[in-house]
Amino acid sequence: MRKQNYFKDNKIEHIDYKDVETLKKFLTPHARIQSHKRSGLPAKFERALALAVKRARFLGLLPYVSR
Amino acid sequence: MVNTEALTGELEVYEIGYLVLPSIPEDKLSDVTGAIRKVITKEGGIEIDAEEPFKENLAYSMSKTIGASRYVLTDAYLGWIKFEVDRAKILAIKSGVEKIDEVLRLLLVKAPRQTTFTFAKARAVKEEKKEPVSGSVEEAVVN
Repeated sequence: MRKQNYFKDNKIEHIDYKDVETLKKFLTPHARIQSHKRSGLPAKFERALALAVKRARFLGLLPYVSR
Repeated sequence: MVNTEALTGELEVYEIGYLVLPSIPEDKLSDVTGAIRKVITKEGGIEIDAEEPFKENLAYSMSKTIGASRYVLTDAYLGWIKFEVDRAKILAIKSGVEKIDEVLRLLLVKAPRQTTFTFAKARAVKEEKKEPVSGSVEEAVVN
């Protein structure tokens, strides 16, 4: 099965910490960052995603924990 | 410790994301953003792009202590400014903005020069998505 890359498919070059709606797609119901097994992202994008989520959490745009 | 002298002369694009206390009236918000801009321009920063603060609910409650009083907050004004500045000056900008009492939190990161995301654009996309849904409901009723 082909691994899909959401960010390449949608032509998102820079994963922005402010883009909360996109980042939320890659969170589990407990607001943890999905593993790359689940998200299907290449390692490079998974790292960029993790950084963006952590920045968004710091600014209160995303929760650290949920439920 | 960063050797600031060695970095002199190299320009870098930075973005500062900030939260402003919600207790400030909306007409006084420009004073706070003006104070942040003043710190940036004082150190020779050139503004590239910015978005004015707007009220936003926080994902978790934060607190800020000013003097003897501690404020626990569940919402805040959120804004950002993108600018270009000498790499040696960035620490001075960070500490300068941190000293502004009305700023609840700030995030200083390196950013690409091109702005690909704004909150205004995201809001427009969200509303656009909502509209077709209501349209299809009407069609279903007609049919």
